[in-house]
Amino acid sequence: MVNGINLALQFLDSFAFIVLAAAGLAIIFGIMGVINLAHGEFILIGAYTATLAVTQLGLPLVVAMLVGGLVTGLFGILTERVIISGAWPNYISQQTLGRDIIEPLYDRLADSMVATFGLSLILTQGARIRFGNSIDQIATPFGAISYGEFSYSTYRIVLAGVSIGLLLATYYLFTRTDFGMRARATIQDKETAQAMGVNTDRMYMLTFGFGSALAGLTGALFAPVITMQPTLGDQFLVEAFVAVVVGGPSVVLGTALSGGVLGAILATFSNLYGTFIGRIALLVAALIALRFLPDGITGFIEQLRQRRQESD
Amino acid sequence: MSTDSATGEANRSLASRLRSRFEGPNTIGESRGFWVGFVVAVAALAVYPAFGDGSQLSLFMVLALLGLSLSIVWGYSGVLSFGQVVFFGIGAYTFGVVSINFATPGGITAAVVAGIAGGGVSAAILGYFMFYGGVRDVYVTIITLVSTIVMHTFMAQTAGSEWAIGEAALGGFNGMPDIPVLTLGVEGASYQFMYNPFPMRVIGIGSFEISPFYYLVLLLLVGTYLGLRILVNSDYGRVMVAVREDEDRTEMFGYNVTRVKFVVFTLGGALAGLSGVLYAARNVYIDPTVFSLLFATLPVIWVSIGGRKSLLGAVVATLAVEYLRISMAGELALVLLGTLLLVTILVLPSGFVPWLHEQLVETRLGPGEAGGADAPDASSEVSD
Amino acid sequence: MSRSPLSRRQFLGASGAALVTGLAGCSAGEGGTSTDTASSTDTLKIGVLEDQSGNFALVGDPKAKASMLAIEEINANGGIDGKQIETFQRDPQSDNQRYQELTRTAINEENVDALWAGYSSATREAIRPIIDRNEQLYFYTTQYEGGVCDEFTFAVGPTARQQLGIVLPYLVEEFGPDIYTIAADYNFGQLSADWVKVLANENDANVLGEEFIPLSESSFGSTINRIQEADPDFVMSMLVGANHTSFYEQKASAGLDIPIGTSTAMAQGYEHRRLDAPAMANIYAGVNYMEEVPTDSNTGDGGFVDRYFEMYPDAPYLNEEAETNYFSTYMYKKAVEQAGTTEQPEVIDALESGIELGTEEAPEVPEGETIRLDGATHHVDHHMWIMRADDEHNVEAVENRQIPETFLSETAGCNLPENPEQTQYTPVDYYEEAE
Repeated sequence: MVNGINLALQFLDSFAFIVLAAAGLAIIFGIMGVINLAHGEFILIGAYTATLAVTQLGLPLVVAMLVGGLVTGLFGILTERVIISGAWPNYISQQTLGRDIIEPLYDRLADSMVATFGLSLILTQGARIRFGNSIDQIATPFGAISYGEFSYSTYRIVLAGVSIGLLLATYYLFTRTDFGMRARATIQDKETAQAMGVNTDRMYMLTFGFGSALAGLTGALFAPVITMQPTLGDQFLVEAFVAVVVGGPSVVLGTALSGGVLGAILATFSNLYGTFIGRIALLVAALIALRFLPDGITGFIEQLRQRRQESD
Repeated sequence: MSTDSATGEANRSLASRLRSRFEGPNTIGESRGFWVGFVVAVAALAVYPAFGDGSQLSLFMVLALLGLSLSIVWGYSGVLSFGQVVFFGIGAYTFGVVSINFATPGGITAAVVAGIAGGGVSAAILGYFMFYGGVRDVYVTIITLVSTIVMHTFMAQTAGSEWAIGEAALGGFNGMPDIPVLTLGVEGASYQFMYNPFPMRVIGIGSFEISPFYYLVLLLLVGTYLGLRILVNSDYGRVMVAVREDEDRTEMFGYNVTRVKFVVFTLGGALAGLSGVLYAARNVYIDPTVFSLLFATLPVIWVSIGGRKSLLGAVVATLAVEYLRISMAGELALVLLGTLLLVTILVLPSGFVPWLHEQLVETRLGPGEAGGADAPDASSEVSD
Repeated sequence: MSRSPLSRRQFLGASGAALVTGLAGCSAGEGGTSTDTASSTDTLKIGVLEDQSGNFALVGDPKAKASMLAIEEINANGGIDGKQIETFQRDPQSDNQRYQELTRTAINEENVDALWAGYSSATREAIRPIIDRNEQLYFYTTQYEGGVCDEFTFAVGPTARQQLGIVLPYLVEEFGPDIYTIAADYNFGQLSADWVKVLANENDANVLGEEFIPLSESSFGSTINRIQEADPDFVMSMLVGANHTSFYEQKASAGLDIPIGTSTAMAQGYEHRRLDAPAMANIYAGVNYMEEVPTDSNTGDGGFVDRYFEMYPDAPYLNEEAETNYFSTYMYKKAVEQAGTTEQPEVIDALESGIELGTEEAPEVPEGETIRLDGATHHVDHHMWIMRADDEHNVEAVENRQIPETFLSETAGCNLPENPEQTQYTPVDYYEEAE
């Protein structure tokens, strides 16, 4: 028996999970062409920072979550400087050896994958050595809402609202601000952007940092509801990659649409047939989508629009 | 290349004609020194069980076949597949299911064939689905990645008694034990490769046992390596490399790029299937961990570290990385492994073996002349 | 270009003859080098392979630590029959392939006299073929689904029938007969769910519904809804692993307020310490041991808990499996002393004679007065406890009694000394209601 409210709430839940899991990756992978296998560990940094900020420093939850995002963003910038662009090691090697030792990992998919896999091993095990096999968890705020025989955690509904808010903020940042213009120009055509006076190196760094901060914020937001242990990032990885690729080239719209479509499938099948079928349905839907819409949902929309313009 | 002083003229021409099949711009190593070294290396592997843990090395060599399967699919044809472990796992499970149901020498031999075919056919199906649907580049990578996760999710829950094929229960997360011991041949004329060691006694070294399975795997690995060298240096190999370098251009020259990718992907699947069969046979056990994200990442790591445009790199890096993974102990082991991967890929982006080759060639010929014997620079080969 | 180091080349000359002198032959044992143990007289070697990183590190780490505690105590008191214990300890990283390789190394290279290895039943099944092939004495110390009847394996943790057998009848009595089962979607969870059905039948209760959840799942919204829809008197939860832990926080924040019986929560992963109260309120764990078990040899002065935290002051918790590793090391000690040798067939014979540990031999048995190893089945008749967490996550003992292992000994008829075998029996083969 399907209860409409249950289904709607579960849809919101799945939607929030997929969108938040994918948000940071959509920028780092979708825009910058770096397969970041350490995405889960960026989420881990955000989750641990937020949790420790509450339990150790006694910060209010909302502040702690923002700190989680901020710390992860700074860590992302560090990662970009040291590993992805190699700017700092290259600076040192220029001084000593007189040449670069690292070629930037941008658009080198497989190499970025191996490098970030190495990074993820270091971060997971580093967290284990420093904080042990788990850390104490914070409670979920806001309580529950009841309807009939059912009840649902209010926080999960808030998460759906937050995920939409984050998407809108990202959209605004990349389309309406000076930073966004420069960042997009850099990524579309580095040479021209440089000629127009954009500091492209800085744009790469900041965009990567922003993507990392989003991942960290995801971790912070989910910190109360998932288990705090060093491999917690793994559970986000699959949904994140699938959603980004199914979404296609337009990052914000793509993430929102794939969150919507995949979230609806996941919620419906989980509700009707249980979590296992829900998961399989999500994956199979992704396979089919990738096969028939190889440029993702937004790529397909773009095609339609072009076709209509041609026929006009 | 090897212009050492004259050995018998007739002899040499025969040897070099034979050798030329294995040599070309797509592989490293065409000097006489290389082949001498190659023979020495194979001989060293052949006597290794007398000194070290041959059982463990046989596992690494089995995995090297998986590494080679990714090397031809990705390194030589430009299709970055995350799904070699899918075909590996299907090969292993097929071998397990068939051999458990037909546990006679003939049945087990058929199971080996079925396992290889299982890997090849599943790769053909997935390849058809992708390449003939116009899926390209990173989307292929993600589709293969999702396939891996589908297999993992599915196989992990096949614990119930309803998930059995004949006598063979798939066993879910706990996997499939009781896979029969690898025995090849037919009734009456068969040979058992596992758990059938030769006792050896050598004066000065002592007594030890060697496993026929080890030599079977060594033979298959060397055979596969040489076979793939012939393939990549053939005309077809040149087309594969052309596809890797520029699909559109190769298409324009009249080659059927889609079919090339499909064929190579299928071949890679069969090779991964063979690796899976040997893996299941060696462990007499198979479980869904082979479909896990970690295991799926490993082939990409081996091939990247070793040098993806080098068959030898795939083999050497598989052996080295797996040896490190198993032998590092202590809580810092994973941190060190991560650092090693990170630094290697950053400092040696083309991989370890091509880098080493460059260094050797430079020291031998001097930096000015290095060009001729250089690592495969395929773009110059195709775009002329 | 040569890829072999120079030293290999030197080997070659020395050993060229090796290939020629080889003779075909037939003998058991894994390939590779294996020379027979020249087990030196003043030491013996124990292999301990427990996860200290990866998915199961949280539960595996205390196991490794408790083994080390027992070994250190025994060595400090003169060892086993005067022999000091050496250890071969490695971290298999929750990876079954690593487990297989390390097991081979432990047996063939390190020649361990006894092996402790593995948390999950998948790990046990992955290494059992290697154990059996090499006739290696092996202790599996996790609570598990039960049914393993194997001449070389001593599965000394409590079985599902023992754990659920104490908690389920109590909950039926207290709250009513309607049960909803949620379990991890693999062998352990599915067989445990079968045991819930068997026990429900024995206690005139009924299972309203059951759901199996993939180990990778961490969102429980739909599961919580389905429990609310079924409206049972209590839930039986056999969830496993880090991802599943989120269920308890999520059901609390969703306002699902229902008693939960479990064999897996609290005692293994100390959720009542890690999660904010009251996520674990009203949860009843059927266990042989957890840190809070109020026996004198456990929480008393100088008891198991004191000794453990003296050795590991920073350890977070002393869990169920840790105690099993601990007392089984003492069982092994007693068996070797009885056998008068470390030769494995003799030690197995001694173990099969029915080793018993009691409080008079403290510090061995933190869980209760006496526990007995059943020689016929290689299982332990455990002292079982129902432990309940309250709103502040304080844990108290509700009930306790000895529960013998009955499935193998009475139902399946496993008698290893008489009839050596290497099987795992499942409830489906013996109970209609488990189908």
